[in-house]
Amino acid sequence: MRARVLLKFAKVLMVSRLRGTRRSRVTNSITSRPIIIGLIGVAMFAIGLTFGLVTISILTSASTSASAMGQIVFTIYGGIPIFLIGFFLSMGLLWELNASTEAETTDAINWLPITPAEYVLASTLSTGYTYSPLVAVAVGYALPLGVLTGNGAAFLLLVGISIVSTFIGSVGVEILRSVLARASSAFTKVGGKTMVVMRIFGVIAILVFTQLLFSGFLVVRIISTLVGDIAAATAVPVFWPTLSITSMLGSDLLASAVYGLLSLGFFLLLAYIALSLRARFWLAAPPSLHFSGTESFSKSSKLKWFGLSDLSIALVRRELRSATRRKEVVRLMAIPLILPVMILFPVVFSPAPSSTATPPVSANPLLLAGPLLFGVGLGALFLGLTSLGQEGGRLWNIGSLPVSERMVLKTKLLFTSLIAMIGLALGLILSVLIFHLSVLDALIFSAIGLTVVLAESSLGIAVGSRYADFSEGPRPRFVSMKGSIIGSILGVIMMGAMSVAFIAMLILSVRIVGLGTSLELIEALPFIATALVALIFSRIGYRLSIGPVNRILTEIAN
Amino acid sequence: MSQNGSAVEAQHLTKFYGPVAGLYDLSFSVGYGEVRGLLGQNGSGKSTLLKSLVGLIHPTSGTAKVLGLDVQKSPMEVRRSIGYVPESPRLYEFLTATEYLDFIADVRGIAYEEKKQRINRLIQALNLEGKQGDTISGYSQGMKQKVALMGAILHRPKLLLLDEPLNGLDPKSARVVKELIHGLAREGVTTVFSTHILEIAEAICDQLTILQNGRVLAEGTGQELREKAGLPGSGLEDVFLKLTGTRGVEEIVEALMR
Repeated sequence: MRARVLLKFAKVLMVSRLRGTRRSRVTNSITSRPIIIGLIGVAMFAIGLTFGLVTISILTSASTSASAMGQIVFTIYGGIPIFLIGFFLSMGLLWELNASTEAETTDAINWLPITPAEYVLASTLSTGYTYSPLVAVAVGYALPLGVLTGNGAAFLLLVGISIVSTFIGSVGVEILRSVLARASSAFTKVGGKTMVVMRIFGVIAILVFTQLLFSGFLVVRIISTLVGDIAAATAVPVFWPTLSITSMLGSDLLASAVYGLLSLGFFLLLAYIALSLRARFWLAAPPSLHFSGTESFSKSSKLKWFGLSDLSIALVRRELRSATRRKEVVRLMAIPLILPVMILFPVVFSPAPSSTATPPVSANPLLLAGPLLFGVGLGALFLGLTSLGQEGGRLWNIGSLPVSERMVLKTKLLFTSLIAMIGLALGLILSVLIFHLSVLDALIFSAIGLTVVLAESSLGIAVGSRYADFSEGPRPRFVSMKGSIIGSILGVIMMGAMSVAFIAMLILSVRIVGLGTSLELIEALPFIATALVALIFSRIGYRLSIGPVNRILTEIAN
Repeated sequence: MSQNGSAVEAQHLTKFYGPVAGLYDLSFSVGYGEVRGLLGQNGSGKSTLLKSLVGLIHPTSGTAKVLGLDVQKSPMEVRRSIGYVPESPRLYEFLTATEYLDFIADVRGIAYEEKKQRINRLIQALNLEGKQGDTISGYSQGMKQKVALMGAILHRPKLLLLDEPLNGLDPKSARVVKELIHGLAREGVTTVFSTHILEIAEAICDQLTILQNGRVLAEGTGQELREKAGLPGSGLEDVFLKLTGTRGVEEIVEALMR
């Protein structure tokens, strides 16, 4: 193991992450200095400290009892290690899912004389250090809570345990990378279409799992479990850092030391597994799928029934194949499916989930299901934002073919909406199961959902075509940072405008027929207003996209 | 589309990339059925010129006409009639060769039976049999080049614009492409292609155009260029180096060997 090579390589990986995500406006001289991360960490520590002091002052001024204060410290201190493990695992995995297989497998690292151990440790160090400001903010927040409640020793332990947790999460990613590479080659041998399907489900499962880990609701549930049934938790290594802290808070120093050492041992075991897997399974050549049956010429499609031309169908088919076969695009497709599920987390993981068949409150089920549409809409927006940029260096294929900008635009809109509609269908199923929507409610939910999807897709494409990022580094982004921010803000404003239309018409309809009247047509007015506003936005978004898409096709970057 | 005049005609074509001129007041024309080779050092404007003719970049000033159509005013008609292969073509790596060609055929409106026949014939001719069901991501550079070429000629275009078409091809496939260009020329297809392989350029092309700094430096047959350079009987490489003013090759090699 060459320490100098390890540190140098960790720095290169860190710079690659920074430049991959903050390319615009940040000069290379800044991103090549690791000290910048340290300085950001110091700032984040100060911010955490301030919030910690504010929390303490609020609790003190509210005359919180000592036992309640102790419980709060217990929950926060116990939550930090498990939160950090989940965060580092999530960030590392999302980073991995972003990676283009092509760029990754042609990475210079595959032919440089770097050992698997050096690679794994450098990569772990790089992940840990890149996201270390989050550790700083967590520790900063915990400092006043510990010191001012007489838990100074627990705070010192928390600092050490947080670092161990950070590395457990980071090295966990290294294991998953190798396993995914191995799985990828195994699926390839199984056959093309099988692999495509497994990859999609795999990505969605990984994303849902990591989002669950990252979700505060789950952390709270875990801590409650620890408090209620500590014996079961002791067998799960990922809880050991938390148990080390909670044992210290419970004045059980021996248990705290044992769990602390076990945590460290767990990290070392993971590191050993990671480097063994790296040595055995890493793929240095791009995987190629084989699709059996060479006669894969497309015949007339049933999509023609919907009035689509052969040209549109060819373009949509290409989009679908891109979405299901490109690793960096598959994760985008998963977003409209995951967002509605995430919005339901508070319901599913609420401290006392309802076990009865009736909704938890007697509100209109449609109003309860409404927030799911925000998830579906934001998913559609994100797909739209990235739809042009993902063409990358392949843009010349479309640019040199007789395809007009309107045709490209309609295809992108159709494809984005189709994928988002899968999310809408999932949202509908969940709403029927959880909120018990009636048939009429389900129809209204679907109709509004469709218009929301259209509006957000159009907006996404309008912004995404102006701020497309065609660069194809190891981690393609498809839309510039500025475009992401502008798109997100406009997307939320658009949702707000639709909500305002809904509320205004709700008030108006209540005034017309009086509270409690069940005239269904009048009750439908708010939903019709929302749909109309969404359709207007769709039209505006479409019109605004024509010019930029035309420019993209006639001014292809070198 | 009239067969009178030129298949390709550029008038005072200028393209600036920021302060850098990719093309500068370039005028040139290519007759119908002609095979024209574009020569020039790296950055001389060959790719920019070809992209301008396809309509993939918008010239800063000047006009380009292809098959009698203004590239800027009638982009769709131009794209329907031409075939184009860029330098190092990026294809849809997630598609198989068959799927890629099937996509191109559908966009170009080729009927089912005909596209099937043409694609199978091309796959056979360019030695891709047995590999057409694999995704392009696993192809070598030469195989990708072949697929791009197939996509460019699938619809039997009247004009072929090829940027370094022989890059990465094995000798047999290179020979097939050379013969193909000859065959297409006999059928009246005009071809403009850029290359660094001077022997091939001289062997295939009716006329050669040497570009430098975005301008036409010299034009003519190989023999005419030799005369212009004052090097009768010399190899085209010497002619090219003299015309482009490239000096001190020996010194550079010496420095590299040190």
